Amino acid sequence: MNVIFQSTYYTLYQAANERCFYIDFGQKTVRMSLCQLLALRHKLMSINIEDHFDSDLNAHGFEVLMLCNKEHLFVLNTLEILDLQRLVYNSFVSLGLAVGAMETVTS
Amino acid sequence: MKDIARQSMSIKVESMDLLNGQIKMEAHASATYLAMASWCEQNGFFTSAKFFFKQAEEEREHMMKIFNFLVDTGGNPISPEVTGINHDYSSIVDVFESTLEHEVKVTKSIHNIVKKARELGDFATERFLDWFVMEQIEEENTVRDILDMIEVTGTEGVGLQMIDNKVLDWID
Ligand SMILES: [Fe+2]
Ligand SMILES: [Fe+2]
Repeated sequence: MNVIFQSTYYTLYQAANERCFYIDFGQKTVRMSLCQLLALRHKLMSINIEDHFDSDLNAHGFEVLMLCNKEHLFVLNTLEILDLQRLVYNSFVSLGLAVGAMETVTS
Repeated sequence: MKDIARQSMSIKVESMDLLNGQIKMEAHASATYLAMASWCEQNGFFTSAKFFFKQAEEEREHMMKIFNFLVDTGGNPISPEVTGINHDYSSIVDVFESTLEHEVKVTKSIHNIVKKARELGDFATERFLDWFVMEQIEEENTVRDILDMIEVTGTEGVGLQMIDNKVLDWID
């Protein structure tokens, strides 16, 4: 497995022989196809991070994230979401599918 | 290192995001034209209503064209949420003026994606949009012609009914 990108909390690997990717979330490692990675990217893009700083819109500053067609469920705080966004956005750049990288947010 | 990512997807994700935005815009156009058809039906402009029913269908076809392009290129097409459709128009002239305004907005949006695709070196997306660039010329031209016809006909007396009848010329 090759490391594609490593953020503060997470690492994305490519497993060429299995034609898929793995994200190491710390507590567990999740296997993902490129489609599932795109779906995760879409979910992360849909999160309004400003809401985390408004107690009316997001009282506790958590996001519930379901991955791979509801196979996995994660509850992530503001810093973890920002870090996961950085991981995913930059991974697409490393993979040659995106041009614009995201600036370092959490580290 | 084997390039699984590139093997699975043949356009840039930035282009994909913009095309998903365009899917939403085409869906919004389709729903807007349906609202206009409803207005025309309720106000006695039955030929214009037919025109807008047909436009609504065409916009959905545009949406599906982009949706299928994202499927073909291994992207992640998103089924659009459509909200905020206006149903209030002050006159049939207002309806067609809003239509032209909407089409110009769509043209600008498509030109913007072409420009971005070019910057990204995403030739597939750029070439795919050729058809839309030409289609928008058609669409704008149609509505402009109708507005010219309205101007010539005038809205006094039987003018409004004549306008509605003449819209038939633009339904093929
Ligand atoms: Fe369209
Ligand atoms: Fe159109």
